[in-house]
Amino acid sequence: MMFVRGLVVLLILLFALLESFPVRAAQDDLTVGLAADRVDISTGFSGAKIVLFGVKSKPGDLAVVVSGPEREMRVRRKESVGGLWINRRAMMFHSVPVYYDYALSRSESDIAPLDVRRENRIGLNALGFDPETNEDPDDIGKFQEGLIRSQQIAGLYPLAPKSIVFLNDGFFRASLDVPSNVPTGEYTIRTFLIRDGRIAEMRAIPLRIAQVGLSARIYLFAHENGLLYGLSTILLAIMAGFGAHIFLRRD
Amino acid sequence: MDIYLPIAEMTVPVQSILALGLAVGFLSGVFGVGGGFLATPFLIFMGVPPAVAVGTQGAQLVAASVAGVLGHWRRGNVDFRMGGVMLAGGALGSMAGIGIFHLLRHFGQIDLAIAVLYVVLLGSIGSMMLAESMASLMKKPSSQENTPLAARGRFLRRLPLQMRFPRSKLYVSALVPAGIGFIGGLLVSIMGIGGGFLLVPAMIYILGMPTLLVAGTSLFQIMLTGALSTLMHAQMNQTVDFVLAAVLILGGVVGAQMGVLVSRRIRGAQARIALAMLVLIVSIQLAGQLLVRPLEIYTAVSP
Repeated sequence: MMFVRGLVVLLILLFALLESFPVRAAQDDLTVGLAADRVDISTGFSGAKIVLFGVKSKPGDLAVVVSGPEREMRVRRKESVGGLWINRRAMMFHSVPVYYDYALSRSESDIAPLDVRRENRIGLNALGFDPETNEDPDDIGKFQEGLIRSQQIAGLYPLAPKSIVFLNDGFFRASLDVPSNVPTGEYTIRTFLIRDGRIAEMRAIPLRIAQVGLSARIYLFAHENGLLYGLSTILLAIMAGFGAHIFLRRD
Repeated sequence: MDIYLPIAEMTVPVQSILALGLAVGFLSGVFGVGGGFLATPFLIFMGVPPAVAVGTQGAQLVAASVAGVLGHWRRGNVDFRMGGVMLAGGALGSMAGIGIFHLLRHFGQIDLAIAVLYVVLLGSIGSMMLAESMASLMKKPSSQENTPLAARGRFLRRLPLQMRFPRSKLYVSALVPAGIGFIGGLLVSIMGIGGGFLLVPAMIYILGMPTLLVAGTSLFQIMLTGALSTLMHAQMNQTVDFVLAAVLILGGVVGAQMGVLVSRRIRGAQARIALAMLVLIVSIQLAGQLLVRPLEIYTAVSP
């Protein structure tokens, strides 16, 4: 059983290697590949797993970071106004990854100093977002933390880092969960090999999360021809109502 | 079983949406109300973006009112002339409502606006309905027996655009039904509710329409305003979710039949007390959201 599983893993890895790094694979200290390079959202979608395999030939710690699609985010803060909780202040941040998750081979503080993690955006407390306007640094920090908590509540940011599983000395696996409300778009998976608190190697792989099949067609229809789409929705409603009328008629 | 909503871009349990559709349909079968007041807050509570909840609700309103309109039409209980004038106001109201919705969303106050409107409208309607049905249950004669408002006669007769409505036997300014329709249109496109509970009393007490024609005519207006609002939300905001609408409507059609069967067996006053309680519970729940300190005061959205 273990042998078969190992073989499958190896084959997947081999395939991934051939696919992504046909030339440079041989001399690298760090090689990574995804079990699947896309996540398809179809009608029954209830979340997915991103599985990354990799091999490192030199010692060091590992960090795997998934983030994507970057958008502008407006963060609002509720304040009590005459007893009612109302959105008052707002702050706009540029290029915020709507989804973020990461896996580490060692605890966050041991793996690298904060400035290195900041520079490479490894870990939630290393994420820094650019506000649109000049704001008081204290406020920026509060709104940024609010943004992170808000995304955590939505299940789009993790509460804690996942761990990286070593299948033997150099062969590792990281699996990260994608919730069903994941935004569609382009994602990047970065894998870092960290030695003595410094980044020794980094590999970035793109990942595409997109709707497929019927839901993709509905989405496209709605966005490309809103009028016709609206008319079909109304037609469906009228037909259902008419059907009910025929069925209900008792005379 | 889970189902992915392509426009809301999220997965929901199909059975809860079906159950919601059933409940909404049931209400419309028993009481003749649209049930949108239940659907919109529930969808938002489930995590459906308010814009999608409101945009999709229009389609559900169409499905719920088609059967009613056809039934009333066969019995000749629809004043199409009156309905048409109301619809003209309703169209303007929907457009204005979509504009207001846009603006509120831009300023991050759409949830507040929806909650406040619900609390104020539903709270007052619910309490009035509860008081009225309690009184009629205790066999007290109702004090307001279709007496048109005192001010009505003088003020309404001075308005321009006086128009004859032969079916309703009324001679009244077209601005009055158009104004009532306008309010209905606003409600559909901002809150996703048909507003029958507001239109029906307005048509009886302000307009003075014969009670027999009111239900069919208001449904006629709600059906077309709902269709218009769906079209505009689909065209301008892309916030109509076909899959969500289909499941809601499926539940709604079945629920409406169950409701009609049940309505033949229950007594009016008791049923109205139950409805009033339900309306009040929804508005108290929404008032709670406004008054109690939220667990997280920061919210992030990508505009």
